[in-house]
Amino acid sequence: MRRRTLTPRENWQSRVEKIGVTFHTLADGTPYWDESAYWEFGAREIDRLEAATNEIQRLALAAGEVILNQNRMAQMGIPPAAHDAIRTAWNAEPPALYGRLDLAYDGNTIKLLEYNADTPTALVEAAVAQWYWLQDCFPDADQFNSLHEKLIAKWKDLKDYTTSPIYFADAGSEEDRMTTAYLEDTAQQAGIKTRYIRMSQIGWNAKHSSFVDLDDRPISTIFKLYPWEWMLAEPFGANALTTLPPASPLREYGPRKDRRMWGSTLWIEPIWKMMWSNKALLAILWELNPGHELLLPAYLDGPRDLTSYVRKPLLGREGQGISVIRDGKVAEGSPAAGKIDNCVYQAIAPMAEAGGKIAVFGSWLIDGESAGMGVRESRGLITNNTSSFVPHLFR
Amino acid sequence: MRKPHEIKLTVLAAVALSMTACRGQHRDCVDKLGRLEPDSFCRATGGGTGSTYRYVYGGSSGGHVGDAVIGGSATPRGGFGAFGGEGGSGHASGGE
Repeated sequence: MRRRTLTPRENWQSRVEKIGVTFHTLADGTPYWDESAYWEFGAREIDRLEAATNEIQRLALAAGEVILNQNRMAQMGIPPAAHDAIRTAWNAEPPALYGRLDLAYDGNTIKLLEYNADTPTALVEAAVAQWYWLQDCFPDADQFNSLHEKLIAKWKDLKDYTTSPIYFADAGSEEDRMTTAYLEDTAQQAGIKTRYIRMSQIGWNAKHSSFVDLDDRPISTIFKLYPWEWMLAEPFGANALTTLPPASPLREYGPRKDRRMWGSTLWIEPIWKMMWSNKALLAILWELNPGHELLLPAYLDGPRDLTSYVRKPLLGREGQGISVIRDGKVAEGSPAAGKIDNCVYQAIAPMAEAGGKIAVFGSWLIDGESAGMGVRESRGLITNNTSSFVPHLFR
Repeated sequence: MRKPHEIKLTVLAAVALSMTACRGQHRDCVDKLGRLEPDSFCRATGGGTGSTYRYVYGGSSGGHVGDAVIGGSATPRGGFGAFGGEGGSGHASGGE
């Protein structure tokens, strides 16, 4: 694997805008979509990344069982009000669409950095923009990218389990809107009728005990690009819990305990994704699989014997609150050193470094199977919302 | 794992074209006759049903005080979305 440089296509901005990457340039004028470089892999390296992704998914499934059987959700900081709903959803297996593993790979070892299981983005870039880039620049090369057809295939599978139309909701940022628009696109290509709504526009009809759109039509199936932990902390969070299927006909949950609401809304991603999008998963995976070649040592109770490590908030997003500690001193990120509650302490992984950048490989899963990859580059170890997206190919 | 042969886009391309369009909260303050009033009137009275001034969600109007607000409903909105908001270029708000 190697990072190569390349002259960007003429009018690259308008080219990527037309296919959804309207947010291609950061506020300071530097490109977020950066096609002045690309990563080239060999087919065997891609095979390794694909196999690693499927193996980590297998480990995560086993960890989910342990989290529930050992009642670990409180330790993970998941609100008690959601525990029964998560357990029920895990067992009932409601539709789940996608996720993204962030992997460290230096050409030698592959290590899991985190699992973005609930609201992963950078999907349009990985599925669409880098495919068009490949057609323009290297039409004879290949790319680790079957996202588009796998998304359409998954929506076709879900058609019988969902109610038409499927609503697509987000918080309103430009990147989020393009992500939901792309997912809507794939759903429509699978023959599903869709509607868009912002999270803030969702209404609650108390008379009929249901979520409604702006025309007061009930929302029965909704894909939400909005974290469950945010939803549960908001005024409609309790309503969302009570619209989920009940734990059993005799066991009620949610403050309203109104049976009319039970199962009235199907939420994609399902609420059990709270177990995987929580970074405590990293410590639990290590605890269950100590020494596993794809995992890094990670702990919840402090750094233990690690003198250099990365400290991550359990529910942090976009690199927020992450610190890199080297030999006991903060080298990057949030300044506080030492032990802090609600964090995971993870060993530092060997990373791919080239051109003054450090690369993280976002390995996508659709329907639980490896489906493609996107590369993010940063000046430091922490990937945040200014880390650029760089296309890739393999030969 | 191999690249797709073709990627067709319809919704995404259309949304990308319209991305510059402003997408507001779709909440209007109206009087008892359904005429648009300054938002401050609703803030002063709570904006709930039964108030002299109330909010209508999802309606449309000419945008001037006194214009009739067509459509929309009084169903409460905003129970989600407090953590979101407009991100900058390349910045996710709910995603990561």
